[in-house]
Amino acid sequence: MQVAACVKWVDLRPEVDRVHGTVRSVGGPGGAGWGISEADRAAVEVALQLGAVWSAPVAVVCAGPVGAEPVLRELLAAGVDRVVRVDTGADQPSHAAAVELAAVLSAGQLGADVVVCGDHSADRGSGTVPAFLAHHLGAAQALGLVRVEPVAGGRVRAVRRLDGGRREVLEAAVPMVLSVEGSVAELRRAPLAATLASGGREVEVRPGRPAHHVEPPRTRPWRPPPRVVPAPAGDHALDRVVQLTGALVERNPPRTVELAPAAAAREILDQLRTWGYLGADGE
Amino acid sequence: MPDVDAIVVGAGPAGAAAALELARAGRSVYLLERGPFPGSKNMYGGVVYGRILDTLVPGWWDEAPVQRWVTRRATMIMTGHQALTVDFRTESWGRPPYNGATAYRPDFDAWLAGKATDAGAVLVTSTTATGLLRDGDRVVGVRTDRPDGDLTADVVIACDGVNSFLAKEAGLYPHTDPANFTVGVKETIALPREVIDERFGVRGDHGVDYEIVGCTGDVPGGGFLYTNTDTLSVGLVLSLPALAAGGTRPEELLRRMKEHPAIAPLVEGGEVKEYSAHVIPEAGYDMMPELSCDGMLVAGDAAAMCLAAGIWLEGVNFAIGSGAAAGRAAARALQRGDTSNEGLAGYRSRLESSFVLADHRKLRDAPHLVMSDLAQRQLPGLACGVAERMFRVDNPEPKPGLRRILRQELKRNGVKVRDVVSHSLRALRTFG
Repeated sequence: MQVAACVKWVDLRPEVDRVHGTVRSVGGPGGAGWGISEADRAAVEVALQLGAVWSAPVAVVCAGPVGAEPVLRELLAAGVDRVVRVDTGADQPSHAAAVELAAVLSAGQLGADVVVCGDHSADRGSGTVPAFLAHHLGAAQALGLVRVEPVAGGRVRAVRRLDGGRREVLEAAVPMVLSVEGSVAELRRAPLAATLASGGREVEVRPGRPAHHVEPPRTRPWRPPPRVVPAPAGDHALDRVVQLTGALVERNPPRTVELAPAAAAREILDQLRTWGYLGADGE
Repeated sequence: MPDVDAIVVGAGPAGAAAALELARAGRSVYLLERGPFPGSKNMYGGVVYGRILDTLVPGWWDEAPVQRWVTRRATMIMTGHQALTVDFRTESWGRPPYNGATAYRPDFDAWLAGKATDAGAVLVTSTTATGLLRDGDRVVGVRTDRPDGDLTADVVIACDGVNSFLAKEAGLYPHTDPANFTVGVKETIALPREVIDERFGVRGDHGVDYEIVGCTGDVPGGGFLYTNTDTLSVGLVLSLPALAAGGTRPEELLRRMKEHPAIAPLVEGGEVKEYSAHVIPEAGYDMMPELSCDGMLVAGDAAAMCLAAGIWLEGVNFAIGSGAAAGRAAARALQRGDTSNEGLAGYRSRLESSFVLADHRKLRDAPHLVMSDLAQRQLPGLACGVAERMFRVDNPEPKPGLRRILRQELKRNGVKVRDVVSHSLRALRTFG
C-alpha cells in the first residue's frame, strides 16, 4: 500500500479583483507570500494518519518551482517518507498540473493506492484537480470531505459536506482519491531535530512540461438567431407598433399547475410537444 | 557539549546581522524565526537607513529590496484644520551611497537573513523560542515550541523583538512600565505609481517621508506617511497608556488623520491593502535592559534600541548595528572560550563606541520632550497660529509685528513663556 498527498505551491494571499473575480499573484513564485494552503497541509496530515494506521509509506507530490523545496523539506521533517516535486512552474493550469501529478502517482512511478488532496488551492482554485486525478488514475473519488476515518482493509469512512448544512457519510476503498477541507486536520509539528536534519534531505525532482496558459472556452447565454419578419403595414405609427408587438392578438394566458414530480414532468413534456419543441416520440 | 556555538532568536534585522557576523567568523549558528519566513511578523513605519550596511554588505544598494529612495523629508505640524510643513529635498540622496529608503519588511528582512544563510547560518522557521535553558544562572540554550525542541549553545543572542520574553526571563528587564511603549498602527494604501509621483512631486525611484505632529487628538504621539513604489504607508504612533485610558480606537484616530485637509488629497482614491499594528519601545535609553548575562546577549528592539527622537525616527539601523555588534562580541567570546557575562562585556563596549548607544544616550531626553504636553497639544496650535497670522493680509489694518503675533498666539494657546524657555533649553541640551 502506498499513500500519497498532493500539494500545490500557490500564492497564499493573491489579489482578487472585487468586480471581475480575477486572481492575480503578487510577486514571483519564490516570493514570501507563497506556500501550500491549509487544505493541502490537512491533506498531508490525513495521509500521515492513514499511513500510520495501514503501516504504509507516505509520499508527497508537489507541483511547483524550486522555491517550494524548503517547505517540502518541512514535510519530510514532519514524517513524510518521500517528496517528489514536479517542476511545472507556478502558473500551470490545474488540468495540466493534474496530468503531471497523475503521471507521478501512477503505477509506473509511485503507484499510489490512496491520494489525498486539499479541496481547492488558496488562489481561488476550482477544486478540480482531485477529480482530474481520480479520472486519470481510474480511482474512486470522495471530495470535499470534512472527516476521514481509516477502516481496516484499505477502506475509509468519510463525511462529505453537502449544501444546506447537510452531510453525507460514505465509504471508499482503494484505489481512491480524497480531497479534504483545511479544518479536517492540523499538520503535526515536526520535531526540532528532524527539522534541523531536513535541510540535507533530498527532494526528488521530475521535469514537468513547460507551463502554458489555456484560456477556458467562454460560455454565453443562448440567444435565438435573428428572424426576418415583414415590415408592418399601416399608415399610422400606432398601428405598426401594435402589429409588431402583437399586443392585441388573442393568446392563451399562462397556467399554474401544482402536480407531483412525475406528473409535472409529463405535463412539461406534453406542453413542449404542443409547442412543437418535441416530437411525438420525445426526441 | 552544546548542539551549536550560538543560537540567535529572531530573524529580523538584528538577528540576521548577528547571525551573519557569527557565520562569517566561522561559528555554527542557528537562526530561529517564529514566522514562516523572516520578516513575516514585522512591521515598520518609517525609513530604513542603510549606512550601517556599508561594512556589513558592501554595495548593498544594488541588491537590497528597496521601494523608493527618500529624497524628500518633510515634518508637518498640524491642528484640526491647519498644517505647517518644513519640507527638505535633495537629489544627492537619490544616488549612491544614498541615505534612506522605504522598504517592505518581509522583503528586506528576508534579504538580510538570506545573507546570513549564504554565510553558513542555519535558518529555522516556524519555530518559537518559548523559554531559556539554564545551568544555574547561566543561559545554555533555548526551549522551542517544537516536539523535542530543546537546543543548547554556548551563547544565545535574543533578538526576539519588543517585549522580549527571553530578556525578561533572564531577569534583564527589572520592571516594565507601559508608559515606555507606544503602539504603531499603519495602513498600506495602493495607488498607481504615476499618481504617487504626481501627488508627491517625485520621479523614478525617488520617494518622500512625512513625519507629522499634532495629528493624534488627545493621545500623545505622531504620524507618518511615506511612499513606496505603488503604495503609501500611512500610520500613527500612539502612547499606550493614553490610548488605553482615552478609549478611542487607533483606527479611528488614523481615519481622522486621513481626512485632514493636508492629508486627504494625498491618499484619496487609494485602496487599503493592509492594516497592521505593532508595539514600539519608545523610551529609548531610559528603558534599556541589561544587555548581557552569562551566556546571553540582547539586541535590537528586544534591547529597546529604537530611536524615537522627533525628527529622528530610526529602528532598523539600530537593530542592525546592535545585532552586528552582538555577533562580533559573541564570536570573540567564543574564540576566547569565555561566554560568561564578563566574557561578553565586549558587546556593551562596542555599542558604547558606536552610534547605537552614543545616539541613544545623547538623545535620551528626546522621547520625553516629543511626548510632552507642550509639544503635543500646544506647540502645533502655536506654530500654525503664528504661520496663519504671518501670512494673512488684514488690509486696511497694517501688518502686525512678529512679537505681537507671538505674544497673542502664546496667550491664545495657553502657553507660558517660562515653559517654552524651559523646553527650549532641554531641547538645546538634547539636540544641540
